[in-house]
Amino acid sequence: MGVHSIANVCSHLQNAARARLGLTSLPNNKYNLALALALHRAGFLSSVTRAGPHPPPQDQLLSFEPEPVTSANVATRRLWVGLKYWDNKPVLKSLKAISKPSRSLRASVAELNQVARGFEAAHLKGLNLGECMFVSTDRGVLEVREALERKVGGIVLCRVS
Amino acid sequence: MSAARPAARSLISRRMTSASVTAPLSSSPSSRLAPSAPSTCHHFHSSAQMAVRRRPRFRNIPAEEMGLVTDQKIDKWAAKKFPKYTPEEMQELSKNYSPEQIAALEAGEASIDPRDLTIQGRLRTDSYRMPYIDDFADIQPIIDKRPKRQPPPDPMARFMNLDEFTEDLIQWSQDLKKGEKTGTLKRLEEFVPNKYKKAPESEWPAEVKAEAVAKFSSYIEGEAFKEKLSTTDRSDGPSDSDVLEYILERSSMTDNNLKSNSFMAPALPNKVPGVAGLYKNAVDPEDRGLDEEGVYQDLKKRTGMTLDQILKITVKTVVTRYVTNQTRLGKIQTCNIIALAGNRDGWLGLGVASSVEFQIAKRKAELLAIQNMQPIRRYEDRTIYGNVEAKISGTVVRLNARPPGFGLRVSHRIFEMCRAAGIKDLAATIPRSRNPMNTVKAVFEALKNQPDPEEIAIGRGKKLVDVRKVYYGGQVY
Repeated sequence: MGVHSIANVCSHLQNAARARLGLTSLPNNKYNLALALALHRAGFLSSVTRAGPHPPPQDQLLSFEPEPVTSANVATRRLWVGLKYWDNKPVLKSLKAISKPSRSLRASVAELNQVARGFEAAHLKGLNLGECMFVSTDRGVLEVREALERKVGGIVLCRVS
Repeated sequence: MSAARPAARSLISRRMTSASVTAPLSSSPSSRLAPSAPSTCHHFHSSAQMAVRRRPRFRNIPAEEMGLVTDQKIDKWAAKKFPKYTPEEMQELSKNYSPEQIAALEAGEASIDPRDLTIQGRLRTDSYRMPYIDDFADIQPIIDKRPKRQPPPDPMARFMNLDEFTEDLIQWSQDLKKGEKTGTLKRLEEFVPNKYKKAPESEWPAEVKAEAVAKFSSYIEGEAFKEKLSTTDRSDGPSDSDVLEYILERSSMTDNNLKSNSFMAPALPNKVPGVAGLYKNAVDPEDRGLDEEGVYQDLKKRTGMTLDQILKITVKTVVTRYVTNQTRLGKIQTCNIIALAGNRDGWLGLGVASSVEFQIAKRKAELLAIQNMQPIRRYEDRTIYGNVEAKISGTVVRLNARPPGFGLRVSHRIFEMCRAAGIKDLAATIPRSRNPMNTVKAVFEALKNQPDPEEIAIGRGKKLVDVRKVYYGGQVY
């Protein structure tokens, strides 16, 4: 699994938010899960749940006990993510993939430092007000500020606002 | 071609042979009853041809055979349905109609046979019939034009002057009371010198006329006063309803109270005598004479601002465009204007208006701009929040927040907008089309759609902190 699934997730989540969906599902893989959890940490998603082809009960989204993943059911697992809306507008307005399968883009700590401060670096435009960027590092998928805290760089996945 | 010919020829020949065969047969009476050979005339369908004409399974009996439509029956029905006028009816009619009309009626009656009416007089059911059954005796308001019973209004009619009005009033009161008291009143003619008494009123010299009118009016007043003193009982005077009728139903023009088909009141002349020059706009004493033309009165009501507040607002025309429409009557040039209004402290409004007159368009746009003013969020009251982009048509405008002291490095229209809104540090790019109207609109959109850190924080459930004044002990700007 490479960044292509991440690019698909980006488009899908943006489309889902614009279509005002409350709950949507992503293919279940480690990369998607890591990104979904990073988005959840950053406050863009209300819930991340692994379940089967049908959505988990909505009243148990946060307390849902998923059945253990086995080799028999792993192919049918999906990641069900809840989208957030505030003031009649989606919290996750735009989600743009940066690294693509044809061109992955890496950024060092220094470059991320510049970008996080709003300046251009490493072919990346500076972050705008309220914008977030997600980086795939050897410590997992992190928001750019988390990566700077840990002083790690990596593959720049997407920018979210 | 060669393949088509024999078939066509055979078709034609078959047709001709069948015609030649059937023609002698049809002359003999016996052949009429015999089932005719299948016809070779054209068929417009592909189903099999019937050998004979289809007959119904159950034979119908014509009404004639049942004796229902015999001559006697027809005459009986006609006599019942269309009877002649009885002598009593003729006598009754002769009361309402002249002998000539009666003769015409009788001639008309005689010209139509009731038998014809019975046989032919049918209500039409074809598709070209009238959409309604009517002898055109009644006027149907939806279908028919309104009848114009009144003659056209008098084009020369004008409002009565004082003398004419007085005369009209006296006439009315005379008609009202048939000259009991008012009939004895003197006329205006009796107040002019003898040599003018015969001449019509229009030939009197002005001073003579004025003198006569003054005398006449004082005489009328005196008479009225005398009447008032002499009678304690007022019941014989015109009642309130009479006066109201006079006011409402009597024309105040010199058209002899002519009725008109028009429901419209006659138009006022340009200068109504006695009222000319007295029209004034409502002037608010609070304005202290600053708005004599009443331009801002409506705006004051709409916005609730005082005139002082309105006049303090910065108003500027930023875009002017002339559009010419070619019509049959020539080129008609319209002026489109965008004006902006701002209080230089966070409020900005745009007004778009167009008019054939530049000044009117400008005034409309400015008033609209003031009316449309709305708050623009500013970071530290000097720049905007983050970078914003807005697109109107092909025009994209990107606005970027800038540090203190940067200034307004923007194009001139955006500069004016920023100055009116009280933005001091800004950079802007217009990467695509630079249409003036769309630029201004896009900038306004961008300024309205700035990201709000508070909203973002609430939406994400995160705490967002502005760290600009955290470092260096807060000693920035």
